[in-house]
Amino acid sequence: MAIFNDWRFWFVVPMVLALGTVVLFPSGYLVWMSLTHWIVTDPERYFDGVGNFRVLFRSADFTSAVWVTLVYLVASTALMVAFAMGLALALSAPRTPSALRSIVIMPLVIPPVVAGFTWRFLMNGEMGFLGAFLLPGLGLKMNMLADPTGAMISVVIADVWSRAPFMFLIFLAAMQSIPRDYYEAIRLDGANVFQEFLHVTLPMIRPAVVVALLFRVIDAINTFELIYVMTKGGPGRATQTLALFGWKSAFQRFDFGLAAALGVVMVVVTTVCASIAYRRFLRPAT
Amino acid sequence: MIRRRIHDDGPPVPASVRIARLAFTIFALAFVLLPIAWLALGSLKTRNQALALPPQLIFTPSFDAYSAIVAKGFLGAFQNSLIIALSNVVLTLLLGTPAAYALARMTGKAQDNLSFWVISVRMAPVFAVILPLYVLFKALGLLDTRVAVSLAHLTLTLPLAVWMLLTYFRSIPEELDQAAMLDGAGPLQILLYIIVPIARPMLASVAIVVFIFSWNEFLLAFVLTARGAQTVPVAVASLAGTMSFDWPLIAAVSICSMIPALIFVGFAQRHIVAGLASGAVK
Repeated sequence: MAIFNDWRFWFVVPMVLALGTVVLFPSGYLVWMSLTHWIVTDPERYFDGVGNFRVLFRSADFTSAVWVTLVYLVASTALMVAFAMGLALALSAPRTPSALRSIVIMPLVIPPVVAGFTWRFLMNGEMGFLGAFLLPGLGLKMNMLADPTGAMISVVIADVWSRAPFMFLIFLAAMQSIPRDYYEAIRLDGANVFQEFLHVTLPMIRPAVVVALLFRVIDAINTFELIYVMTKGGPGRATQTLALFGWKSAFQRFDFGLAAALGVVMVVVTTVCASIAYRRFLRPAT
Repeated sequence: MIRRRIHDDGPPVPASVRIARLAFTIFALAFVLLPIAWLALGSLKTRNQALALPPQLIFTPSFDAYSAIVAKGFLGAFQNSLIIALSNVVLTLLLGTPAAYALARMTGKAQDNLSFWVISVRMAPVFAVILPLYVLFKALGLLDTRVAVSLAHLTLTLPLAVWMLLTYFRSIPEELDQAAMLDGAGPLQILLYIIVPIARPMLASVAIVVFIFSWNEFLLAFVLTARGAQTVPVAVASLAGTMSFDWPLIAAVSICSMIPALIFVGFAQRHIVAGLASGAVK
């Protein structure tokens, strides 16, 4: 086989083997688990076909988790794009102190667990600076984390805080790579700042925005610890996303089969996203 | 990789735009800094001070919370996190660098399929590998060990590193390889003596990003460890469940958990920014 004489094959093999062990094998195993009646507390374990999927798609928890995930995804993404875009526009201005940029990206290195904790404390209705002092002071008397809508808003805000810096960096890099001639040209035509943004900046950074959005979708589907620390999915099921529902099924109800079925569904959704992302935007130029 | 500032000094910007820009910057700074300031102040307060409303801004700082980190045995978590993250960086770079280099020098279908596979692993939900890894590590008797967490983190860090390096290696002209090959160098020598020295800044930034990913990761570490190999984020989360909400202690552990990342980012901010963006912007 010619391939064995190719050095590139031998350079790639260790990585493929390592990823195969921690990813490929587990995914195959996940499919098998999803087809098995496997409840840790139940001694009986047997092949159950699509039984888990049937239970999953019929459960109210799943329907609710899909909705919660969608609401969370749309709300946090919209806010995050607005915030990151505003930041990128404001901080790409001439002579912006670079310290400002360093401060703004600080949340990027703060563990999401810590971010969740801090926001939970800030929003707390009895002793939080925002929840018990600032917001009531402004006339908003609502216990944020105990109210279904308030909890969702709190989680979304914390998520925007924690993840927007990454999006900001992508936007900023894209904006800074726009040749300045483009701006000069449109200015000669008498365009104002808003027209500049609409006709030069926006079209030029569009690819970066799309990629950032795709990363964001996957990130939102995966968000776990932030919500886990802030609300544990509550009150009720108000902030219980697919990831939290999966974790609860597996490690609180010990229904490994059902959780695996959910895992399979999530892998299918994200792989479709990844394949769109790759085919359209990420494929390395050759 | 330093990009020229584009806007330098454009024509005069209308005052309304400048005011809007300033207002937004102030709002953004307040939003970003409030939680960080809250953490920093909270870690220096006593429990009663931390819970007082309206908040006390002037107080005598107390370092009790920081000494409690040692007293309550949280140092072990920091040690675990450090060992796990460092060994993960080493493993990731050892496996990822040759693979990314080979991928950068490949063409055609094999390259395309492998690249797609790497990016789809990068995007796969962590949740999908957790259950099988849990069962696997349990069977191997590796639950609650640093080895398990470090290996599990490869699912996140290896694709990320390969992706960042792949984009970078592509930008190194192949003529360099060919010139070295004419001098009789093999692929391994080219990688070690030509590519790696050129890519040193990029490798450093990949190492830092990988370190931060591993250091901050929660879900895998949470599921795979109990008491023994607990990492810092898991330790922080475990404080959430306790009945006595010891905010100064949580804040102090949190502040300490940011230190390594802040040190690294301070050293190599520009490279990290370039590296993170390189996967997304071409």
